[in-house]
Amino acid sequence: MKAFARRMVAIDRRIIFLLIAAAVLVPLLRPFGLPIKVSPEVRAVYDYMETLPERSVFLLSFDFDPSSKPELEPQAVALLRHAFRKNLRVIVMTHWLTGTGLADDVVSTVAAEMGKQRGTDYVFLGWAPGAYALVIAMGQDLYTAFPSDYRKIPTKDMAVLEGVRSLRDVNYLISLAAGNPGIEMWYVFGKDKYRFEMAGGSTGVMAPGLYPFLRSGQINGLIGGLQGAAEYETLIGLTGTATAGMDAQSATHFVIILLVVLCNMFYFVLRGDPGRSR
Amino acid sequence: MIFFKRHLPLAITFVMGITFALQYYVPHPVSEAAITAVSKWMQIISGFALLLGIASLFHMHAVKIRRQAAGWGYSLVLYGAMLGTMVVGFGSHGETKVDGAQTAFGWLYDYTMVPLQGTMFSVLAFFVASAAYRAFRARSREASVLLLSAVIVMVGRVPLGQVLLPWAWDVTQWLMNVINSAVRRAILIGVSMGSVALSVKIILGKERSYLGGGKDA
Repeated sequence: MKAFARRMVAIDRRIIFLLIAAAVLVPLLRPFGLPIKVSPEVRAVYDYMETLPERSVFLLSFDFDPSSKPELEPQAVALLRHAFRKNLRVIVMTHWLTGTGLADDVVSTVAAEMGKQRGTDYVFLGWAPGAYALVIAMGQDLYTAFPSDYRKIPTKDMAVLEGVRSLRDVNYLISLAAGNPGIEMWYVFGKDKYRFEMAGGSTGVMAPGLYPFLRSGQINGLIGGLQGAAEYETLIGLTGTATAGMDAQSATHFVIILLVVLCNMFYFVLRGDPGRSR
Repeated sequence: MIFFKRHLPLAITFVMGITFALQYYVPHPVSEAAITAVSKWMQIISGFALLLGIASLFHMHAVKIRRQAAGWGYSLVLYGAMLGTMVVGFGSHGETKVDGAQTAFGWLYDYTMVPLQGTMFSVLAFFVASAAYRAFRARSREASVLLLSAVIVMVGRVPLGQVLLPWAWDVTQWLMNVINSAVRRAILIGVSMGSVALSVKIILGKERSYLGGGKDA
């Protein structure tokens, strides 16, 4: 028994890689279609969006790059679909230079799908340097911070920005963040001074760190990881890549749990054995 | 020279630090105009910092290639990729799409950067699984609590877990909202107090490491 346990503890990592690959691929090819339960923090974002009257100003900040695309792009797509369905005026921007092309692709695709016009229903401001300095600049005067949008069209006199002078005129802001600059920066330099309501969307790894902001009301909702995106897709009744990916995530979590339990059993069998930690 | 190297930066830091710490509490139009102007300066400085970063990266890897230091081949690849992207970017005038058609720069972004970054990130899942198998052990009482919490959260955060063990959802919500929030808040408060203390030291000139390590500093 000890010999078997010793062999299993030192198992070739490629076998673990194969198990994870199978746990990801099999559910993607043959989905189980399990129901998605909605958490209060995701519902809070949805409910606030629902309370916004038509033509309210909604700012979505893509604070991520392609490495976090699988988790944060589904959140962006679901939020944009909801905002366009509610006929909100959508302002999109990014604090991450390498996320600019990605953000432009996502907003253009969803807007085309929902029949929305650039400049009238939405604008993509693109990227500008400064991070927190940019937030302050936007809070003071949006047109100084972004004199033109990503397509170099002057922002002044754009129909979508009618009546919007600064961040004070934004009704709801959501930062989809994979790190810093992101949600915390938007709160500290933006919401705290310019008084707009905001929420956050983050990668699964970051989400636990944002709960203090949620509990204190500094953000009014939180969409965490692929699970959060799937919950938002469920709420708006439009299934997308997040819902499709949740079966794979379920299977992967259970494979990892199984591996951890097994390894602990093997260590229990090997307790007192001098070579067990190898 | 000591005036430009030490006294002037310290004076600028002191004056700007005190002024803009107070500015936050003064909503007068003059104060608002000052922060509007300074936020623009900060954006311009950030732009220069980006250029400085690129120049520094080029210099560091050029030295590595010239000396043929360990891993200099990777520096060569980095040089090629950066210069290639710059040439293509300037050629496409920084646009990823023109009249709905993808430019060469857009192609480079969509078909190299996006899949490469996605691949790097997704490979993590395999290494995390392997590391968890070997390292996530109930060696002590504290480690056992951590292990148990992690397993409950992993079960409660996915639909399969919510179907098999419905109570895991409620326990996960409690762990995240109460235990996790309390601990994170304690860390945040500690970090914030440290940041405030460091800022005060910088403004008052007690902390000078940002001036560089020269003997005049």
